[in-house]
Amino acid sequence: MAADKTTKLLAKQLFKLSLVNGTVSPEQVTGVLGWVEKHQPRRTLALLKVYQHLVVTELAKSHARVEHAGPVASATLDAIAAALTKKYQRAVTATAVPNPKLLAGLRIRVGSDVYESSIAGQLASLSV
Amino acid sequence: MSNVIAQIEQQIAQLSSKATKKNTGVITAVADGVAKVEGLSDVMYNEMVSFPGGVIGIALNLGEDEVGCVILGDVSNLKAGDEVSTTGKLLSIPVGKAVLGRVVDALGRPIDGKGPIDAKESYPVERIAPGIIARKSVNQPLFTGIMAIDSMIPIGRGQRELIIGDRGTGKTTICVDTIINQARINKVGLASGDKNFRPVYSIYVAVGQKQSNVVRTISALEAADALQYTIIVAATAGDNPANQYIAPFSGAALGEWFMENGMDALIVYDDLSKHAVAYRQISLILKRPSGREAYPGDVFYLHSRLLERAARLDGKGSLTALPVIETQAGDVSAYIPTNVISITDGQIFLETDLFNQGIRPAVSVGLSVSRVGSSAQIKVTKQVGGKLKGELAQFRELAAFAQFGSDLDAKTKATLDRGSRIVELFKQLQLNPIAIEVQASLLWALQKNYFDSIEVKHIVAAANSFKDFLTTRKADLLTKIRNEAKLSDEIEAGLKAAGDEWKNTFSAK
Repeated sequence: MAADKTTKLLAKQLFKLSLVNGTVSPEQVTGVLGWVEKHQPRRTLALLKVYQHLVVTELAKSHARVEHAGPVASATLDAIAAALTKKYQRAVTATAVPNPKLLAGLRIRVGSDVYESSIAGQLASLSV
Repeated sequence: MSNVIAQIEQQIAQLSSKATKKNTGVITAVADGVAKVEGLSDVMYNEMVSFPGGVIGIALNLGEDEVGCVILGDVSNLKAGDEVSTTGKLLSIPVGKAVLGRVVDALGRPIDGKGPIDAKESYPVERIAPGIIARKSVNQPLFTGIMAIDSMIPIGRGQRELIIGDRGTGKTTICVDTIINQARINKVGLASGDKNFRPVYSIYVAVGQKQSNVVRTISALEAADALQYTIIVAATAGDNPANQYIAPFSGAALGEWFMENGMDALIVYDDLSKHAVAYRQISLILKRPSGREAYPGDVFYLHSRLLERAARLDGKGSLTALPVIETQAGDVSAYIPTNVISITDGQIFLETDLFNQGIRPAVSVGLSVSRVGSSAQIKVTKQVGGKLKGELAQFRELAAFAQFGSDLDAKTKATLDRGSRIVELFKQLQLNPIAIEVQASLLWALQKNYFDSIEVKHIVAAANSFKDFLTTRKADLLTKIRNEAKLSDEIEAGLKAAGDEWKNTFSAK
């Protein structure tokens, strides 16, 4: 069931309530879910889907997915996390995900930003 | 072989090991040439967005949750879930003289099979029009080669003159004739070696036209050897609406290059009715609020920002625009026609009735006007054609009245005779522009009553005969008229001698 305007608006309000100091708070999310369960607003499923999407998008902004080909030292991950924390002015954590398709180098995804420093990326830019 | 390796090495040397940042998003829906994208948090308005498979899109709707992109290319391989990324660039197309003689699509890619275009520069498709300070008033003529227009509704370089009329009334013909005339003038001017001669380069933008019509136009330009001074931007009816929407702006960018580099250019938008329809389609899919006739609220701004880019710049060149609007059943008060009429500096209205009566070009003198062109008209045309519009208006009024009775006084009869001769004289075959000096000579002959003794039905033949006589036997006189651009005593004496001589030969036939 697609979410209508009212449902989207309510989901956004609930999402705002889930933030503490600009970051998603697990306690607040639990509270919001409890409220939804108790009051069963209209289009609950659509509401929860929109709400989930908003939370996931927000969490992705604080999480760096570091794709790599070859080994990555934990010190490198820490350095990446520190650099991104400084850049985005918010706490950013980093997780390593192996991706042999990169051939060599790294690809870091934070929210909708992608930092590319891989051989695969360079080859792709050559083909353009 | 070594050349190929050198090229690869050059490309590799250009590669940087630095990390590149791009902003990405995910397609959530694709429909009718428009993609809804989630993400793209840093995208700018009108920024080029890169879709999988090298397809380019433009971000047109920046919503809170999603971005609406029009796709300029094949949408068949795009699907929900595909990743897209920003490019940080505004849409731009290759410009310059290298594009002359070529047929390109809305993105400036060649579609004529003549190989790649070796353009050194590119211009953004969307650009703010020149401001007030940079502009200069229109006072240089741009001859269409169509006698009815050059004598009564003159167009100046940097002017926006609307060509409006029902389907099949000869709108495109007027535009193509004008382009052919520019090519003819360019050839004569460049061959003369005159350092002050300023050629006019033409750009023909086909929006939503049938491909067969575009081919016909290209063939006509090729046959007249005018393609070398012309660029054709084609976004035909088969192209997606996004390409049709962007094509006039691409054409304007091509014209701006000539204008910015001290040259003169002419751009034909054929036609803006179909452009508005393409924009309406995009806007409706983007769920923008619709207004009158379901057009979006900014359809006026769509055309005003396009046509404002036509200008004459101080110390630089000019861009003259001939937008075309197709009316339905002659209704000039419809939404898009009134919009474009109010934006442009005049309009040439073509009437179906006149066309069907065999009066071609079917220019309605009463409804056509050029608001700034008269200051661009050369003196000789003013001298010989200054009273024509009034005479024709009187003729139309009296002709309607005279239908009810046969007893007419001598003055009325004389006005009707003169009017019917003017109407006949203005009849002109398509793809056959007349040089301004020949036009002036013909009008001079009319004013001096050389055609009065000739039957009205023979006026066209007489005019053609006089034209041939002048071009073949009085070329020096025509050159003098062209160079001096005014009717001096010497020229008038020459015309009188030529007229008398021709009259004898024509009468003898």
